Amino acid sequence: MTNGQSQDNNILEVKDLKTHYPIRKGLLRRVTGYVKAVDGVNFTLRKGDTLGLVGESGCGKTTTGRTIVRLLEPTAGSMRFNDPNLGWVNLDQMSRRELAPVRRNMQMIFQDPFSSLNPRLTVKRIVAEPLIINKVASGSELDDRVAELLRVVGMRPEYMSRYPHAFSGGQRQRLGIARALALNPRLIICDEPVSALDVSIQAQVLNLLEDLQTDFDLTYIFIAHDLSVVEHITNRMAVMYVGKLVELAPTGELYDSPLHPYSEALMAALPIPDPRVRERPIRLPGEVANPANPPSGCYFHPRCRYAQDICAQEEPELRELQPDHWSACHFSEDLSLRGVLGSHATN
Amino acid sequence: MESRETTTTTERSETDTILRIKNLHTYFFTVVGVAKALNGVNLDVPAGKVLGIVGESGCGKSVTALSAMRLVVEPGRIVEGTITLNQIRKQGNGYKVMDEVDITSLDPRGPKIRSLRGSEIAMIFQEPMTSLNPSYTVGNQIMEAVQLHQKVSKVEARDRAIDILRRVELPNAEAVVDRYPHQLSGGMRQRAMIAMALSCTPSLLIADEPTTALDVTTEAEILDLMRELQADMGMTIVFITHNLGVVAQMCDEVAVMYLGRVVEQAPVDDIFYNPMHPYTRALLQSIPRVRVREKKRLEPIRGVVPDPYSNISGCPFHDRCSDFMPGVCEVNVPAMVTVPGDPQHAVRCFLHSDATEGENGR
Repeated sequence: MTNGQSQDNNILEVKDLKTHYPIRKGLLRRVTGYVKAVDGVNFTLRKGDTLGLVGESGCGKTTTGRTIVRLLEPTAGSMRFNDPNLGWVNLDQMSRRELAPVRRNMQMIFQDPFSSLNPRLTVKRIVAEPLIINKVASGSELDDRVAELLRVVGMRPEYMSRYPHAFSGGQRQRLGIARALALNPRLIICDEPVSALDVSIQAQVLNLLEDLQTDFDLTYIFIAHDLSVVEHITNRMAVMYVGKLVELAPTGELYDSPLHPYSEALMAALPIPDPRVRERPIRLPGEVANPANPPSGCYFHPRCRYAQDICAQEEPELRELQPDHWSACHFSEDLSLRGVLGSHATN
Repeated sequence: MESRETTTTTERSETDTILRIKNLHTYFFTVVGVAKALNGVNLDVPAGKVLGIVGESGCGKSVTALSAMRLVVEPGRIVEGTITLNQIRKQGNGYKVMDEVDITSLDPRGPKIRSLRGSEIAMIFQEPMTSLNPSYTVGNQIMEAVQLHQKVSKVEARDRAIDILRRVELPNAEAVVDRYPHQLSGGMRQRAMIAMALSCTPSLLIADEPTTALDVTTEAEILDLMRELQADMGMTIVFITHNLGVVAQMCDEVAVMYLGRVVEQAPVDDIFYNPMHPYTRALLQSIPRVRVREKKRLEPIRGVVPDPYSNISGCPFHDRCSDFMPGVCEVNVPAMVTVPGDPQHAVRCFLHSDATEGENGR
């Protein structure tokens, strides 16, 4: 984070972002409360970064991603995007009309390649849709562009007139990627892009995403729950717990020396594909806090094995404790937490 | 109905098998053709161990499990092969075979298999919400299983249910016993389902992707719990998963499946440090490794898993294999052969043996 100063090598600045869903009850559908899905998220994204967004289901990863592209409306906070044509814009204050040209530069790839492609449209129509809507190309130019996009994602242009059902999960995910690339975006939010794929296909798609990043100077926000995939593809990581960022750090540092107790538990839970490295997990008592009624102080304190009195009273701020390594814990400086390989880390 | 008392008492070593699957073929006769889900599965499940079955979707992991439970439903059918369940009891350091049942010969709706299900072989599934009945309390469902297999009163059964819920470390078991499945979180439901499966102390537990739907922290806790229960109760677990990390953490032995066949079976250390089948090697190279010094590019397996309707000549992996030998691999199907000098390691590949299926293989 850059002390509020916009820099040209940054692409996105998110400050105190909150997205709350109203809970409606009764005949009059009166609002009785809010699910605080995203409840104060801060980060800055540099150009060319791949920022991993991890956390357990329901922690607000997807809501954060969708709020950034304004598929969901933020409740509070600011999101500034460095548009290649318009310069810095405030995404949270723009109308739909104003947003349209900016959205070309922010695209999404979804988890489920089966529900994210319309089964009634041909491949050509699916990939061409962003081009048609934005009136970027038409006629034979459109065909050429679609063919090129298919080639870029490693599919044969001859498939253009087929329908999604004719393709496997991996191929469909490639189609989703081709569609996301159609308008030459700068930022792509990948929401669990490989979670539904088999391991061998997963590797193909991850390699493709890496190649595309180099070829097209892309910046990724990579939302995933598989920590080995995130470690492989990201250079920075943000750990979320009940709507808040608890730690933000370079990927290697986060895996080797986490500063937040929740990150430590998350890392210790990762099943390492090596039978010679077996560690007992850190047990987290209780359940993930309810985002409609979170606990006082630090949201993690009821499950934290290092919690003290202050943790139930004061909410810890996200602080930069080492260069580019941020943690929201009162005791980050005092704890010596174990990294992903635990006692095997020296190997 | 076979009598349970015909005991063939032979002393065996600790590495004895509790379940032996031989040349199992399970086909699905659909309108578009015959899907050969299992195409000659050979598998020995060692007693008292955790055997992992890994492979990509469609390789036949789940159908193998369902076949062993005789839960394959129309249009699926076991068309060939045998599944032998050894009803064994621990005796000193070894096992004693009390009875041998050919599961494939049983009527899938008959009383014999029903007496085995739950009490001898139990199964847990990926999605606990679909296997727990939403209109009964957790306790009632566990009590039903207990009362079905054992002559106990309702009160005793309820105590047993609370006991087993405590055993799977559900906090406040006395209250959970009266809850409905929807009142529990995903992790708690999975624990409740494990409790249900363990309620009659089965000797073999088949777990089909039991942690795939769970978050990583919950997954780690459930795996830890299962290992602990396995050690305490001396039960055998067949653990089906596609996650090689889970296999490494959980299993003693591993069977790798590809397109309806087991292509390699070995102790877990051999699978990770001395894999012999090209498919096993390819799988291991395609997964991201955490905290390895050099960041290497992942090596995907080329092509895709063929659909089960296709008829591939020779070794089913030959068209994706990096060690493909023309004139050999596409002609014959290799047999499952034990690696010389390593009786626990078996592999089905012409790189290691010339034996073809149906000949001197196992």
